[in-house]
Amino acid sequence: MGATGPRVEGKRWVAADGIHIDVRGLSPPGPLVAILELVGSIGDATPVIVHHERDPQMLYPELAEIGWAAHRIDGEPGEVRLKLERAT
Amino acid sequence: MRVSGIAFLGGAASRLLPASIPFRFFGAAAAYHLLAWIALLAGARDVPRFGGGLGWPLAALHLVTLGVLVMTAIGASLQLLPVATRRPVESRRWSAAIWWVYTPGVAAVALGMGMPAPYLLGGGAIAVSVALAGYAALLARNLIGARGMPVVIAHGFAALAALVVVLVTAVSLACAYLGVPVLERGMALALHVTFAAYGFMGLLALGLSYILVPMFALAAVPDERRARQSLVFAVAALLLAAGAAAGVAPQPLRIAAVGAGAAAVALHWRLMDIALKTGMRQNLGRSVKLMRIAWAFLAASLATGLGVAVDAPFDGMVALFGLLLIVGWLLTFLLGVLQRIVPFLASMHRAPGKRLPPTPSSLTAERPLAIHFACHLTALASLAAAIVAGSPWLASAGALAGGAGAVAFGSFLATVRRRMSAPDGKAASR
Repeated sequence: MGATGPRVEGKRWVAADGIHIDVRGLSPPGPLVAILELVGSIGDATPVIVHHERDPQMLYPELAEIGWAAHRIDGEPGEVRLKLERAT
Repeated sequence: MRVSGIAFLGGAASRLLPASIPFRFFGAAAAYHLLAWIALLAGARDVPRFGGGLGWPLAALHLVTLGVLVMTAIGASLQLLPVATRRPVESRRWSAAIWWVYTPGVAAVALGMGMPAPYLLGGGAIAVSVALAGYAALLARNLIGARGMPVVIAHGFAALAALVVVLVTAVSLACAYLGVPVLERGMALALHVTFAAYGFMGLLALGLSYILVPMFALAAVPDERRARQSLVFAVAALLLAAGAAAGVAPQPLRIAAVGAGAAAVALHWRLMDIALKTGMRQNLGRSVKLMRIAWAFLAASLATGLGVAVDAPFDGMVALFGLLLIVGWLLTFLLGVLQRIVPFLASMHRAPGKRLPPTPSSLTAERPLAIHFACHLTALASLAAAIVAGSPWLASAGALAGGAGAVAFGSFLATVRRRMSAPDGKAASR
């Protein structure tokens, strides 16, 4: 990835379980770009919690390419919540 | 409750069409890609001054348009449009049935044109029309009530409307070869060429680019207002061309259509350039090189279209227009897109039992793609030179180079298909 950035951020905040990003309401491929931009900025093992409105099927090959994996965790009704971590 | 990676990815995969559906369209497209160059070789003598009529050059043209472009567009759009529309494809059986009717129909159309055998052509045209009507119904059901990107959906609806014109004029042209003309042939032909290449296939290509190019480059969504303006110019160009085909001030309307088309292309080009320059991923390789070359050919096709509109004094103008539009723009663009999305789609359809999806880079095959790149561009240059010089020998050389490129591209697809089905650990071994 180059130094330039598309500035598609979504809503971000930090909690005890990791860095959260809410990409609901963004048009495709905005969620994909925002999530990968955040993941690419993390240098340690901090997990990323994604709040999405659907299964981001295009995300998994991109995560695999950079050595990360996704797991589904409990979320609000109608929400798809994912925990992204470096693949071991 | 925490769901494991295995279970979750399995759930995601279950919402995709089975891999066998898009890949059967891609496989058939690879076969027809090679057959198109073989048909062109068979008709090389007539290629430099081709201006229509039954024979192997017309068969080659339809093997590219129906066999490669539309075949791939069906497979890719069934998989990708739900991403933009946020609605799944409602019938998997329909998707498979379309392939079974469409694929032999294309073969019958091409053989009927090449041999020539008008009744075979008529039968093939019916099969192709039925299959495309089924695809149009699937596309319409997916677009109606879609909640995703409005500009992509608008391109989808415009492409659908163009497909209706293409089907009606195709049936009329096939009937004319059987001695039962429906529409006046010159009007039907002008509408068929314009609405197939710039309408149905062109608008699908421009519309899907608003998702695909930012996805490849990891860039922000292109400016919706500019994208809508580009679509308005494109639709205006098609309507002006339709007016010209119907005999309303033909030359002024054709020139105005080229002008509106140029405005649409300029706006689209600017948006794509911004996405590619501002994206997080800058090194996009051969795939985007082909797409950039294709955009240049799209602009060049409009310039030669203007030459056709003003009856420029060059015997090969129609052939040159067809080459730049179909091979230079549409085929080059599609092959550029396909070599990037096929490993990506294959990664989403990982083999059963794998814990994690294989990476797209471990599924692709670089050497066949490098060979294809060189052969495809050599074929384009040879065919352009053949038309300018009026040389059947150069046309034959172009067909041979294109055929070699088609074999290389088919080898790439076969490699991806084999690697996606391989047990864990095998995909990475190249």
